[in-house]
Amino acid sequence: MALNSAGGIQGAQAPSGLSRLYSRYATECGLLIAIFAVIVIAILIDPTNAYLEKPWYNATEILRHASILGIFAMGAGIVIISGGIDLSSGSVIAFSGVICCSMILGLCQFAGLVDDTGNPVTANLPGWILVVAISGTLGVGFIVGSFHAWLITVVRLPPFIATLASLVGLRSLGRVLIQDVNRVFTSNANTQIYIRDATYKSLGNEWYIPVIICAVVALVLFTLMRSTVTGRHLYAIGGNEDAARLSGISTEKKKWLAYCIGTMTAALAGILYSSYVGGAMPDRDGLGYELNAIAAAVVGGCSLAGGLGTISGIVLGAIFLRVVIDAVAKTVKDNPDEFQGMIVGLLVVLAVTFNELRSQKGDRKKFFPGALGIVNIISLTVLMGLVAMLVTSDGDSSTDDSRDKLFAGCLVAGITFAVLVARKMFESRPTGEQALVSTPITANAQSDSSAGGSSSESGKQEIEGDGPGGGEEADEGMDS
Amino acid sequence: MFSASRFFSLSVLLLALVVLAVGCGKGGGDSTATPSPGGSDDGGAGKRIIILTNGTSPFWDAAKIGAQEAAADLKTAEAGLRVVVDTNDFSDKGQIDKLRSYQGMSDVAGVGISITNSGNSSIADELRKLAKQGVKVITIDSDIDRKNDRDSRIAYIGTDNVYGGEELGKAAKGLKPDGGNYATFVGLKGAANAIERIGGFGVGAGDKFKQKENFGDGGDQNTARKNVRDAIDRNADLDTLVGIWSYNAPAIVDIVTQLKRRKDFTIVTFDAEPIAIDHMKNGMIDAMAVQNPHAMGYEGVRMLKALITDDKDALAAMEKRMNRTEEKDLFDTGLKIIIPDEGSPLAETKFGDNTNKLTLSKFTEWLKSKGLQGS
Repeated sequence: MALNSAGGIQGAQAPSGLSRLYSRYATECGLLIAIFAVIVIAILIDPTNAYLEKPWYNATEILRHASILGIFAMGAGIVIISGGIDLSSGSVIAFSGVICCSMILGLCQFAGLVDDTGNPVTANLPGWILVVAISGTLGVGFIVGSFHAWLITVVRLPPFIATLASLVGLRSLGRVLIQDVNRVFTSNANTQIYIRDATYKSLGNEWYIPVIICAVVALVLFTLMRSTVTGRHLYAIGGNEDAARLSGISTEKKKWLAYCIGTMTAALAGILYSSYVGGAMPDRDGLGYELNAIAAAVVGGCSLAGGLGTISGIVLGAIFLRVVIDAVAKTVKDNPDEFQGMIVGLLVVLAVTFNELRSQKGDRKKFFPGALGIVNIISLTVLMGLVAMLVTSDGDSSTDDSRDKLFAGCLVAGITFAVLVARKMFESRPTGEQALVSTPITANAQSDSSAGGSSSESGKQEIEGDGPGGGEEADEGMDS
Repeated sequence: MFSASRFFSLSVLLLALVVLAVGCGKGGGDSTATPSPGGSDDGGAGKRIIILTNGTSPFWDAAKIGAQEAAADLKTAEAGLRVVVDTNDFSDKGQIDKLRSYQGMSDVAGVGISITNSGNSSIADELRKLAKQGVKVITIDSDIDRKNDRDSRIAYIGTDNVYGGEELGKAAKGLKPDGGNYATFVGLKGAANAIERIGGFGVGAGDKFKQKENFGDGGDQNTARKNVRDAIDRNADLDTLVGIWSYNAPAIVDIVTQLKRRKDFTIVTFDAEPIAIDHMKNGMIDAMAVQNPHAMGYEGVRMLKALITDDKDALAAMEKRMNRTEEKDLFDTGLKIIIPDEGSPLAETKFGDNTNKLTLSKFTEWLKSKGLQGS
């Protein structure tokens, strides 16, 4: 083939602007489509048309929730991109709530804002108290992140263990601390602190504040990761830490930065969370949120192996998760949270699988090899049928409803079985290489041509299949 | 070209959406809807009355049965109303999230909520926002902070928890006339019902009783058991164990049984979970102050339906039972003190006018008559 003057391949069609954009932001495009699809499905099956009747309220609610999740998911995502993991987000959220509210109580005492019993009055706080409390909380986030970095880079603890210790320890510390703080600043040793100041409460309750904060954080981190040497170093460390170190990158300093971003974004989310719930309750605040952050990052295209992922993907991952949760709440009218875990789990697995497929080589992936595959075809069939039956259940034991449940379960199980068996059969067909090995010499000419055809087809698919993923990886490779 | 793997994963995605589409529209779980007139399933149509719990426990199962009975008796479906019990996870945020979620729906007509934390004004703020949208809001079982946020709901339906605590305190006093040292065990120490019951218990038990500890478990039953063990380990002079929330009773009995120290403790508890009833049969609990969650569910639905449909007669009938305070917004669903069938020192003890003292066998008969296993 000859190259044309523009450096393209003669005869090949130059990719359009749209397809270039898709190649570059395949994960983001996929997530946008998925978000749109979930909303459309929710609109179609919600009998009360909540999204159509109250579009503004529902949109702002989803954005508000997604922003708070997105803020600390971006921090968790940067740690993942740099090859680490941060399990402490949930506990940092709880702890930072305690710190912020404790500082507010202390500063109220300092400023003489107390009632006649000596208890701090947390309504109508002067602005400087909020500024000091929020700054101090972010400072504590920095200290926690620095501690993680020290444990990981100096003490050489695995990131999983270092941040697991914080996951357990910080919440406990918060629970103990809050009682002592209450004992010192108020007349009793409560396990919660409530703040009644309207400005503070508006931080997490007014939808636009978390959205603006999330947008600013996203812009800063997007620029950091996309357009700075430091960002490229973080990708490089995540891709191959040894190679990065040997090429002169100061991996310790970059990890310090990554873990501080992780904990400071969690602290920022903790302030918004505390504002949203009206105070600090460390025994339950942010419980399990570290997994939400990791889920949002992974759905957004981050690889847990490190070196892959984008800020825009993480933000869209957070929006996708919140849209799914909200859609379940809108469509399953009774106890939606019982179904949320099941449905969110299912969609997270599918989204990540879809992402993985893009970066792997399409047809060559075998999902159902051998006996393990057969067992899992059966288990997935049963699982999908069961899910359909459970979701169809309405708690009424009438015969008609039982029949509906059974029908739905059998229908979905049947479709699942058919799809999976088809896939299994597709995987079982001889590939070009297998055909070459197994074909007698006398049939060489014929098999050569078919193998060649297969190879070239496979090669073509590889090029085409790699389009979005390959483009993205190449792009990120350049970043690195 | 569309690779087979993509086709496969898209198929699976579509399949998942089929699962959702097949089921979601029908709702799940705890709907107590009855078919609407004309035989059509009202499914998601019409308006909803939502009973929002503070968490999960058999207590709420009994309340749900009451709500179901009310839906059937009062023919809520004919009024275009569907009764739903929605379960919180014991967290303030969970409840705030749900209340905000209701604001985004157009089919919520009434909410009866058991407040997780009375001191949290953010929950009251969300109740006010719901009320602004025309949703009728009442509290059930656990009220808001009556000093600051009384305006955020129309009425409270449940036990007078201060009174309930006092009555359980009286039971402890009857069992140990010379007094003792007690520890209290509860889910959320900040919940109004917890604060009121614990305070009431101290008053009812009198000066001879001293509180050594007050443990909160956040709704985690494993922690509830750990708390009992810690209390016993830390206080050699502890002799009275007080369960404030329903699941604290079995937690206390489990640990006391494990330690084989039944004779060292007087055990008095709130509520009667099925397992707690068995424990009393086996001589492991000395007295139970039993609320009436069935009535809370029933009366909650009755009041909400009356408010939504502006049924003045029904409201007037309920108001007659709401005259215990100046504000006339507390509907007392009554209290039972349950004692073992034989050998209880409380057999002769006198309780308050609003208390119905029953032996265990009479109580279980009453439960059977209501189709309940616990209360």
